[in-house]
Amino acid sequence: MTNAAISLKDVSKFYKYYEKEIDRIKEILTGNPRYQQIHALKPVSFEVAKGEVLGVIGQNGAGKSTLLKVLAKTIIPSTGEIQINGRIAALLELGASFHPDMTGAENVYLSCAIQGLSKKEIAVIYDEIVAFAEIGDFIERPVKTYSSGMFVRLAFSIATHIDPEILIIDEALSVGDGAFSRKSFDRIMDFKDAGKTILFCSHSMYQVEALCDRVIWLEKGQIRKVGSPVDVITQYSELVRMASPKEESLDKTSNEEKEKFQQEVESTNVKSIPSIVDVLVRVGDKVGNVHKVISGESDLEISVVFDPGEGVPLASVAIAFSGGDGRILSSTGSVHDGVVLSLNEKGQGVAKVVFPQLALLRGNYYLDIALLCEKGIHLYETIRRAAEIHVEQKGLERGFVVLPHRWENTND
Amino acid sequence: MNLIRAYFRNVTDGLLTPFRSVYENRSLYSILVKRDMVNRTSGTVLGKLWPLVQPTLQVLGYWFLFDIVFAMRANRGPDYLEYLLSGMVPWLCIAEILTRSTMMFREFSPLYRRNPFPLEILPLLIMTIPCLVFGAVYFILNLLLAGPEKAMFSLLVMPMLMLWLLPLCFLLPVLGLFIKDFTQAIPFLLMITMFLTPILYFPTMLPEGFRQFIWLNPFSDLMAVIHGLVQGSEYSWLNLGRPFLIWFLLLGPSWLVFRRSIPHIREVLS
Repeated sequence: MTNAAISLKDVSKFYKYYEKEIDRIKEILTGNPRYQQIHALKPVSFEVAKGEVLGVIGQNGAGKSTLLKVLAKTIIPSTGEIQINGRIAALLELGASFHPDMTGAENVYLSCAIQGLSKKEIAVIYDEIVAFAEIGDFIERPVKTYSSGMFVRLAFSIATHIDPEILIIDEALSVGDGAFSRKSFDRIMDFKDAGKTILFCSHSMYQVEALCDRVIWLEKGQIRKVGSPVDVITQYSELVRMASPKEESLDKTSNEEKEKFQQEVESTNVKSIPSIVDVLVRVGDKVGNVHKVISGESDLEISVVFDPGEGVPLASVAIAFSGGDGRILSSTGSVHDGVVLSLNEKGQGVAKVVFPQLALLRGNYYLDIALLCEKGIHLYETIRRAAEIHVEQKGLERGFVVLPHRWENTND
Repeated sequence: MNLIRAYFRNVTDGLLTPFRSVYENRSLYSILVKRDMVNRTSGTVLGKLWPLVQPTLQVLGYWFLFDIVFAMRANRGPDYLEYLLSGMVPWLCIAEILTRSTMMFREFSPLYRRNPFPLEILPLLIMTIPCLVFGAVYFILNLLLAGPEKAMFSLLVMPMLMLWLLPLCFLLPVLGLFIKDFTQAIPFLLMITMFLTPILYFPTMLPEGFRQFIWLNPFSDLMAVIHGLVQGSEYSWLNLGRPFLIWFLLLGPSWLVFRRSIPHIREVLS
């Protein structure tokens, strides 16, 4: 196929295990294999078309990272052929090749040169890289003096300015803190809109479903299923739930992003980004964080007031009901419902949603509130367990929720 | 027949691949050379002077010990200081390159571990700065002590060393990575080799019965050639032929070992 950006044929990776380290050198010297194979990736074959956004999902140890690293050419596959048409930018381990004693400027040249750019090509994009990274005069100082935020900003800027045709993203759709987080997200979305090929590996099924055209599900180093996001994710989520019911939560991605890049919030030089100001939960005349509710009778009213930030489109709001074990039972979002939020007289964003005659059944529930970008993908802020709802009921129904239903008269 | 052809292919590959790769990745190479220089000088007061000052001081130290303290003046042959200098500077360069080569894969792991990186440029890269630095010192010292004509000849020495050390720079990094004991043993091995090589002494100062054995050590031949080039002392075709033969026999296999070890390198370090 000529229009494939990436084509893999029987690509596998096994790590070699040697009982004694000395066996390794014996093998190199004599050429006789002396290892046991440990498969990280069994032979897989697939193609990614130009402009396609491919999601890669799977549990830890399924071979996702190995696959991405093989494609990023940081590990050599044990068997098979890989064809890649176009330059790759891998947002895998940002800034890994930075030299702490060299200045930011020198590291820009070093990183780009490793990616195969000539000095002339680097000189052309140099100014853009520095401007995007927003590190000002620090560019002439050694990288070891950078804060972790500056470090990651520069690395991200370099990775995305080498004009890649293919982007490999592991987990995080944005990097850095505050305003830069949004800016980096926009930059990745620009790549998508420009029709670049993207490989996106994530644990956030929500983001995978929102972005990808097709999804590959890896399990134990093999492709378990390939198909449309809806099909694959539905099956995958079912399996994950059976295995460990507590895995899912609204802000999972954001936690992982934070661990990954060890962000520090820098108060300086950060433009105001959207943030939640207040959450009001009202049942009847009572406002508070803990409510007693009668199933099928009480109306639950939730108002979220947020600071809309500067220079970004008006944010959206999502609300989720979860049980004590953290599993989301139901959720709703303003983007999905096609609602455009508005500003109040103080210039604050307001989202108000009413759940009439709350259909939850007896039990304790928690409300999670999320503030997202206008597309409902990039997460600004979440409040977990913003309110607690104790539902009581009069009847003897079992379960979590009463579904809309009607009994029909069969005698007609 | 096939075996011989395969052998020659390995020799030519081993010789050409590093140079070709350096050419293809020339901007990366030049940045890394610069980075290497930064590594040596960052945080020091003398900064950019250190690479020149340090080898000079080392040579002066040896000169002080052997010429002044031990008063080891030669009755025959050229001036001792000049002799010491013309052998010692190249040897310091060789010693530095070989020591560093055993640590090469560890030293550069941050660069290639998470990036696609042409590993085959590393052997030439680690030789570049020592050869430039010691080459400059060598040229200046020869210019001061022996005049411009001999100084010109001294310029030939470093490129020659670079070429001759290439097989060792394929082999030693692999050994150093997979057999850690090797890294520990290398300073001792280098010291012994230095004592067995006519650097601090004239070959004629050795006992008669012992003298023929020093040619088992290829560095003795190398030194004879270097002394011949720079000081005009006599050397034979054997002095050229023996190191060349060793080089030729070593280049093919060591390149093969280097190439075969590439898939292992990231695994060992991660």
